Amino acid sequence: MVSIINSIDTGHEDMIHDAEVDYYGLRLATCSSDNSVKVFDIKSGVQTLIDDLKGHFGPVWQIAWSHPKFGNLLASCSYDRKVIIWKEHQRKWAKYYEYANHDSSVNSVQFAPPEFGLILACGSSDSSISILSYNQGTNSWDAKKIQNAHAIGCNAVSWAPAITPLFGNGEGDQKPQLIKRLVSGGCDNLVKIWREDGDRWVEESKLELHSDWVRDVAWAPSVGLHRYTIASCSQDRRVVIWTSDDCLNWHSTILHTFDDVVWNVSWSLNGNILAVSGGDNKITLWDQNSEGVWQCISDVAKGQGQINN
Amino acid sequence: MSASSTPTFNNEYYIALECKDLQANAMAIDSSGNYVLLGGRRYLAIRNLEDEYEVVQKYPRQSKYDVGAAEWNPTQFHKELCVISSNQRLEVVTTRHDDLTQTHSLRAHTRVITDLNWHKADPNILASCSVDTFIHIWDLRDPKRPTLSLSAVAEASQVKWNRLSPHLLATAHEGDIKIWDQRKGTVPMQYIAAHLSKIHGLDWSPKSENYICSSSQDSTVKYFDITNSRKSEFVITTTAPVWRARHTPFGSGLVTAVVPQLRRGENSLQLWNTTNRATPVHTFIGHRDVILDFDWRKQYPNDLDFQLVTWSKDQTLLVWKIEPYIQKLCGHEPVEVEVGTEIVVDAIESRLPRKNSPKVQPLHQEFSLLNVHIPNLIVKKMDPVARNVAVKVAVNDFLVHLQVSFPNAYPFGVSPIFQVMPGSTINDSASHQLLQMLKHLAQQRVSKNRTCLEPCLRQMVTTLEQLSTSLDPNKVYDRSYLEPPNIFGGYNDAYIPFPKTSGAKFCSVGTLVCFSRPSFSRRVPTKSESLTRATTPRALSALENHFTKQASDYMTISTYYYQRHRSRAKNFSKQSRTVVHIYDALGLFFMNRQLAEEYILDGDLSTVCKHNGAAAAVVGRFDLVQAWTLAELVAGQSDDKEMAMASHPFGSKLMESLINHYATQYDIQMAAMLCCIFGKEMSRKSAQSLSEQSKKWKLKATSPYHTIPPADVVADGWVFPMMRTKRSTSLDNIRVEVPAVVRTTKPQSTLYEYYKMAYAETLHRWGLIYNRTEVLKYTYRIPDVHKGVEFVSECTFCERQVKQYGCVFCKRLALQCAVCGDSVRGLANSCAPCGHGGHRRCLQWWFRKKSVCPTGCGCRCMSETARLFDT
Repeated sequence: MVSIINSIDTGHEDMIHDAEVDYYGLRLATCSSDNSVKVFDIKSGVQTLIDDLKGHFGPVWQIAWSHPKFGNLLASCSYDRKVIIWKEHQRKWAKYYEYANHDSSVNSVQFAPPEFGLILACGSSDSSISILSYNQGTNSWDAKKIQNAHAIGCNAVSWAPAITPLFGNGEGDQKPQLIKRLVSGGCDNLVKIWREDGDRWVEESKLELHSDWVRDVAWAPSVGLHRYTIASCSQDRRVVIWTSDDCLNWHSTILHTFDDVVWNVSWSLNGNILAVSGGDNKITLWDQNSEGVWQCISDVAKGQGQINN
Repeated sequence: MSASSTPTFNNEYYIALECKDLQANAMAIDSSGNYVLLGGRRYLAIRNLEDEYEVVQKYPRQSKYDVGAAEWNPTQFHKELCVISSNQRLEVVTTRHDDLTQTHSLRAHTRVITDLNWHKADPNILASCSVDTFIHIWDLRDPKRPTLSLSAVAEASQVKWNRLSPHLLATAHEGDIKIWDQRKGTVPMQYIAAHLSKIHGLDWSPKSENYICSSSQDSTVKYFDITNSRKSEFVITTTAPVWRARHTPFGSGLVTAVVPQLRRGENSLQLWNTTNRATPVHTFIGHRDVILDFDWRKQYPNDLDFQLVTWSKDQTLLVWKIEPYIQKLCGHEPVEVEVGTEIVVDAIESRLPRKNSPKVQPLHQEFSLLNVHIPNLIVKKMDPVARNVAVKVAVNDFLVHLQVSFPNAYPFGVSPIFQVMPGSTINDSASHQLLQMLKHLAQQRVSKNRTCLEPCLRQMVTTLEQLSTSLDPNKVYDRSYLEPPNIFGGYNDAYIPFPKTSGAKFCSVGTLVCFSRPSFSRRVPTKSESLTRATTPRALSALENHFTKQASDYMTISTYYYQRHRSRAKNFSKQSRTVVHIYDALGLFFMNRQLAEEYILDGDLSTVCKHNGAAAAVVGRFDLVQAWTLAELVAGQSDDKEMAMASHPFGSKLMESLINHYATQYDIQMAAMLCCIFGKEMSRKSAQSLSEQSKKWKLKATSPYHTIPPADVVADGWVFPMMRTKRSTSLDNIRVEVPAVVRTTKPQSTLYEYYKMAYAETLHRWGLIYNRTEVLKYTYRIPDVHKGVEFVSECTFCERQVKQYGCVFCKRLALQCAVCGDSVRGLANSCAPCGHGGHRRCLQWWFRKKSVCPTGCGCRCMSETARLFDT
């Protein structure tokens, strides 16, 4: 069912903290504690290092690819309090924009859905979330900060998909109102949902269930089921699935309690499968059966390319 | 400046240091008796008295003030600390790690500090007094403010703790002595009116806690019993104002020095026996200028080797040996006289090796000629007897301790041996290169019988500089910021989450990207953790806590995991630590790439369904084959109107349930395809019915000239040029708008839109742009509202809106020229406000002379149009 395409020896000198393949599946970016970000070409199973991006002075925690309509952009965030957006030009990468306005390590970056434009959200340990938007008219970046988003620090950010099937009352004449929504998780054990209201960002909901730091949040891509779904994982070893019909009242289900901290949750593009990984060094895939119960459909043995069903 | 000479006692002293540019005012000896600190305005220098060949270490100071006083901490606990006073500030420095670093800076005095004194027993307590009349008692554990402040009315010139009683301290103010008890700091315990002129020095007796002596400007030294202080016990009268009087560590002697500022030619110290005070029992002569400070080396009472160290304005440091007879003169009986002579013998013997081995080439000259002012290089030790030199070089982030040993035959054809000592931070390849270079250079020179030490040292610095920059041109970024060993350790690290070392992410369509720690990494749980479940810590600060016990150079996440296997891990290729696995997880979903490529939507419904069904069969999805067959039945054309399933209520319901079935299973591919088929069928049906009537239909917000299909709105710059030919003014396009009519009746049509768009997104990611556009044709995407000016023309004859110059309906040319009456073909102009127009040439000719519209409607076309566009 799941087969290995490629195993890439990144050559990083220290441990890897994130890896992501781009929109078309042609490039892989990895980031590590050795302060560098590496980009590989992985077309048709052959790997080649395209470039090694150096510019951070501390371990790089996360990277994110943008939608290709903005060009080949890659964002990275690091312990050194900086967020750097890199742009490719003829197989060479260079810094496109650098944001250094955080007071502490920036832990998470994610690009917004392309329908909103070129926008990047960054969550930092100085408790704030900054939203960087590119303004094409002035060819510059504006930054908006959500101050005190989470006490102590914000660990993860994730955007809600732009198109949801909840718009359209049959009128269809006006363009549907695309509301920007963001979910974030922090050291205050909370998952918060933020909505853009005019010029500012307001907290729309606060989801409380976790008993320890929330390490990752992921908003599921809409599958047209008139439902919003968010997954969150935490130091308390649990993964929680939150669902809502209107984005105001949320219902929670604990997916599972693991053996060690859970670091990462990721939704598939379609199919509603959740990939979970954590400190116990195991990767598991979860799916909902016809009754709506979450079950583990496979588990990826550590780094050996086998999937046990 | 020269290095020291041999430490034989010549008469009674030897020159420990001669340093012309030091200009030190204060001198202090530490508790071990080996280190001497000399404090001057520009430098602090430390001399190790034990090691005579060691070059004096000089540490520059950034201050415009002289060092007023200096003292090493006398306790064992903090014996590496030394305090110096600099105008109003006290600086506590430490000599840990081969370097002098400031640990505390104590500020509270508002005028210059005149004296300071460590507590004799408590390692953290320090007293300082100043011209501002305050005496501050400091505790190093809380350096921000003094723990106790004693307020005296007059300015204080001396402060000294009692040597035996831990709570007493004495201060001198002009000619008075005040005795304080620190437990009651509001008033002095005792008040002694000692002298009529200023007191320069105070010294408590080492034998009794009640006795103190004071030395004064009036050339006397007075000795007091604080319990009975009305009158001094005795007075020593000297010939000059006494600067300091200090008790000897043996017997009952006192050493006095003359006030240096007087410069009266009294360049000697005098030793007195307090029991017999008529004249000094001994005079220490040797300095060429006034004595600034003096102290005893090894002051323990059982010690036999008494040495006095003096520092003079002639910039020499002399160490005086106290001969036993001198000790006797002070009333002290030296126990073993033989030990005293042995010292002298040792000193003589150290000369012998040189005389007995004539073949050994002397290094003295080379060492003395060596210019040690090489940047980044510090010469730690130059031993001509042992024939080795130790240097330390710090360049960028390389720190190299190099030892150079000179064989006996050097420099005649034999080169010295270079060795990089442990404790250097330099990688193996750079170290190897460095040693190669040194060997090569040395060999070149000794083969010509020339000395090579200095050129080698200079070349070493240059090579290290080159090596450190050639490693990585981007390293220059690293250095200005955080150095690798110190990267963590900010106080915020408790708020930063522990780094993740394994992850899985879904990317692109069905790609799963995974990375994790390789199996051989194991984390050894610490003792506390094995009690509870060993889980990964929460915050980054756990990394540092883990490392405080080990002296690890690099505190990174990988050393956290590989600690046990560090030596072995080097043998494993480093790469196996950082592998990323990419999986194709498409099999978990219902998306099939082959089907996506094979499916078609163009053409009539039955062929489409047949083709797609066949494609599904090839792939093996027989359930889909069934679905396609059903779809064909429902949507297929049939001549017999009654049999047309589409209009049959069951038909549409069947389609809907099919779509729903696939959607709930997350088979977006099939659901979207079925929606397209459904839409195709519905639109065909509606178009048929519409074409039967001839009525105007409203074109929605699109401009009639806007013929770009909605697909372009989504794809922006990603439409390939060939796609433009897909743009047509055929009925196909017009049909796109028609579903709007159908849409309003079905509430779940928005859902269908969604499925199509989600599928289109997947196709985009796969790069199947053509297929994507096909699907998008079936979506109702509201195009951007045309924000400009629209020109809608009506056919002059049948009054229907037309896009081209030929009216489709009445088959005549739509526009009639207002001037000449002919139908317009070619360049045409019209007036926006009144709507009349014609040939360009005709209008040009007309408006040369006239300003009103040629039709006679009264509109002033030129000015009106101009006004319209003005805003």
